[in-house]
Amino acid sequence: MNKTTRREFIKKSGFTMLTVGLSQQAFFRSMNMAASGALTQAAALSANDRIFVVVQLEGGNDGLNTVVPRGGSLRSLYEQYRKPTLRIPVADLLPINNDAANNQLGFHPQWTHIKSLYDQRKVGVIQSVGYPNPNYSHFRSMDIWHTANPVGYDTTGWLGDTLDLAEPSNTNPLIAAAIGGSLPLSFVARETTVPAIGNIATYRFQTDTRYPADAQNRINAFIALNQEGAPLRVLVEQIRRTNLDAFASQETLQAGRARYDDGTYPQPPPTYNQANPLARAMQQAAQIIAGNLGTKILHVMLGGFDTHEGQATANKPLEGFHALLLGWVSEAIHTFLQDMKRMGKDDKVLLMTWSEFGRKAPENGNYGTDHGAAAPLFVIGNSVKGGVFGEHPSLRKSDLYPDTDAMKHTIDFRQVYATILEKWLAVDSAEVLGRRFELIPFL
Amino acid sequence: MPLDERDKVAHLLRRAGFAARPEEIEAGVARGLEATAHSLLNFETTPDNLDPEPPGLNQNYQQNNQAGPPRGFENFALGWWMNAMIKTTRPLQEKMVLFWHHLFATSTLGVIDPRQMYLQNQLFRGYFNPLLPSQRRTPEDTTSPFPVGNFRNILMWLSRDPAMGYWLDNYQNRRKDNEVGTNENYARELLELFSMGVEDVVAHVPNYTETDVRQLSRVLTGWSVLPVDVRNNYPPVEGQPNNFPRWFAFQPTYGRLQITHDFGPYTVLGVTFSSTGADTQGRRMFDIIVNHKNPGQQQSACGRFLGYRLFQFFGYDDPEPEVINALADVFDKGTPQFTIKNMLRAIFIPGSGIASEAFYSEKAFRAHIKSPTEYIIGTYRLLKPTGYTLNYELVTSNDGLTRLNSPVSLNLTLTFANQMGQLLWRPFDVSGWKEGLNWINTTFDLARFNWAKGFVSEFSVFQQSRNEPPVEQRVPGELTTEAVRTLLVANNAQTPERVVDFLARLLYQVPLSNAARTALINYLRAGTDGTPGTFPFNINNNVTIDNKVRGLLHLMMTSPEYQFS
Repeated sequence: MNKTTRREFIKKSGFTMLTVGLSQQAFFRSMNMAASGALTQAAALSANDRIFVVVQLEGGNDGLNTVVPRGGSLRSLYEQYRKPTLRIPVADLLPINNDAANNQLGFHPQWTHIKSLYDQRKVGVIQSVGYPNPNYSHFRSMDIWHTANPVGYDTTGWLGDTLDLAEPSNTNPLIAAAIGGSLPLSFVARETTVPAIGNIATYRFQTDTRYPADAQNRINAFIALNQEGAPLRVLVEQIRRTNLDAFASQETLQAGRARYDDGTYPQPPPTYNQANPLARAMQQAAQIIAGNLGTKILHVMLGGFDTHEGQATANKPLEGFHALLLGWVSEAIHTFLQDMKRMGKDDKVLLMTWSEFGRKAPENGNYGTDHGAAAPLFVIGNSVKGGVFGEHPSLRKSDLYPDTDAMKHTIDFRQVYATILEKWLAVDSAEVLGRRFELIPFL
Repeated sequence: MPLDERDKVAHLLRRAGFAARPEEIEAGVARGLEATAHSLLNFETTPDNLDPEPPGLNQNYQQNNQAGPPRGFENFALGWWMNAMIKTTRPLQEKMVLFWHHLFATSTLGVIDPRQMYLQNQLFRGYFNPLLPSQRRTPEDTTSPFPVGNFRNILMWLSRDPAMGYWLDNYQNRRKDNEVGTNENYARELLELFSMGVEDVVAHVPNYTETDVRQLSRVLTGWSVLPVDVRNNYPPVEGQPNNFPRWFAFQPTYGRLQITHDFGPYTVLGVTFSSTGADTQGRRMFDIIVNHKNPGQQQSACGRFLGYRLFQFFGYDDPEPEVINALADVFDKGTPQFTIKNMLRAIFIPGSGIASEAFYSEKAFRAHIKSPTEYIIGTYRLLKPTGYTLNYELVTSNDGLTRLNSPVSLNLTLTFANQMGQLLWRPFDVSGWKEGLNWINTTFDLARFNWAKGFVSEFSVFQQSRNEPPVEQRVPGELTTEAVRTLLVANNAQTPERVVDFLARLLYQVPLSNAARTALINYLRAGTDGTPGTFPFNINNNVTIDNKVRGLLHLMMTSPEYQFS
């Protein structure tokens, strides 16, 4: 693919990089004009205004206690592995459809909101998702999910590759955003820079408020310091580019964020529980979406799923840290979708959860579970064809990985990616994933 | 262009420490590069200048009807550490404390009592012995392998560190069956994150199997802490105030009947051995780890792992295999074996081989992206604000209890450090922080810029309450107008050109590019209406210092050049 960077096309289009004294608004306006004038015809802009929200459950979610066997032989095996300490009683489960092998299943009792969405057929439960030769390292396994490469080492992520492919001449500094301090590897791209937004309130370039008249001078000088000069080392260029993107994206963001509660949409917004870190992140995502800034992909995350100990409270399997986390997930997604409905964007949004692996079938004796492999993944949205896809992983000892007691996958995570790329983002999945995968009919 | 002697000295001071002020560079040049490197390496010969330990370490909070240390103790202890980095007379020792925290990243979130984090910090400095409950701070105790001693012993001491025991759950690891202990968390990270990596960093072959992880978790059963679980209100340990300090204990049994230690035999990395019921046999596993070589490889996996991590921390990202292997050879075959100081010598002493050639190369020069900690500490060391304090204050209130007040500057610095991506003692996850370009993204950038603005002039802090727009609060920065003027006058920098040149020498230690220099001079001269050349620049005028020179410092700290060490 012959992609043109934002910088290259600015050069090609004959636009001279700013001079000191040119206001930053003028600079970015000129840059955007250069973009629309020189390259519109070359831009293979994606034809839809859909938004994809990725929800990362960091640490390895215990899938077996998220979608839990309710009956049959699967249930009796579950009860062997999960002693009363971690065993969710049948009576407390929120029943969902049987899977393709007719296993009776239910959601963890904390998932009341997700269950309600499921009943509206807006939740796809993709069973037994994983990849061959599972890697039990958090970091290697996360990299595999981020890069969609279970074998080699890639330096770019699948979402970044998607943006490079679908938006080759992108000039929008908020084409995508990660909510949170750091940028996930899935967003790293060759050409596109994606901002990480820790907190919208602090995501702004400050000058000295005591000298407002000098602010523009300072901004001009900042831009000049980051302008292209003699070719320097790659690292310096990357920092310059990120510096400029930081400035451009905060300007766009601060302008767009105001639309969230300025009356553009019906008021008031739903209340996001500020004690729920995922809800706080999704509120920020909603504020970006409200700005109509052309943002196509958002990434939010919730940590804490590495539950080696204290996954549940002693003798209270319904309480404890995992229950708290799952409750946060359910509540945050529910509030976010209410907010999308308020903005009239609920048909435009698709969510996908993922975690780097599930946990082992047996608990470890510390009210916890060690690193496993396959686990369910969830896709949520008005456009989702709800239901259970695939089969719950077998719990027979002979079907577990002999060295780890981890459950085996039947659906490759890249099948989910391919389905979303093809059916939601309208991108050729083979270009991103390197080959074709069988799609899953949830869209 | 090869580096000259002055560049090399400045480079060494920046990397083996936290900054290089002009007078430090001059002293280093006068002394010679090699002698400067030796002096940094042999830091024991310089007296340390640490502050007294944070108050409250020994306080019996239960007697005062308090469940733990004062709220915010973590911040005070972090302030203590940051002051140590700012003021240290032993820069390389402090830099190694930071290195070990990067490598053995532990989070307060899992450690329960933040006082334990302070003790771990002392462990990394070489001043805490987890086997000696009555003598926690032991600068005279030369048995500690930290921070630059034998890595085999460093791993053993780490495995006995109570903070680590809590953080990675090994204090709960008990006998389970012949394959595995009840908690494999520490065993896995000991191999993956602390000693070898999932794969050999050069040959990219797997270093160990899942079976090794499980076998190792058996070896580590019973490596615990006393008391075992503070959350369950264990009775006070004799001679110790309530639940603190906690120290390492090997507990082969628990209660009257329960045997918690698995006596083996185990097979780890192809070596089979048994336990005798003391942790002495368990210590064999550290020999096995540091000696482990994959088939067909000349160097140990551990030596390569450490060679990679040390060079990445002090030199540049993704060092070449030859550099890694050279450092691994020093690890494997140096005298004595497995010694960190020998590896550091191979990097810092000029002429000692390929690692030092790489370290003093053009490729390495100003090519390391400062971590947030290096950015903050370096700024303090370069600009030396007067009257700053990141230290706690002790306040005795009416009820007779001693409380700790933390200064605004400390709280703000920690808030911004967090936004820059590195709040010490709160690593994002068990792998610590990813360095290099991972320090740079739009959010981290803005946090750097806004901290810089606050430091040199005035902080703007946004307090956001539920569903309300953020409220701006303004807090004075760290530099007084008079301090800035004194600095300029003392260095004969009174015109825009001289101010820019002097501050570039101070902050970057290299000249600016012509374009950057012009942009900064134009800024100093631009009138408040934007007209070029109309600002009445006069450093005797407070507005000149307060607006323009502070603005210049802010800009210089946002520039690409300042992000590099």
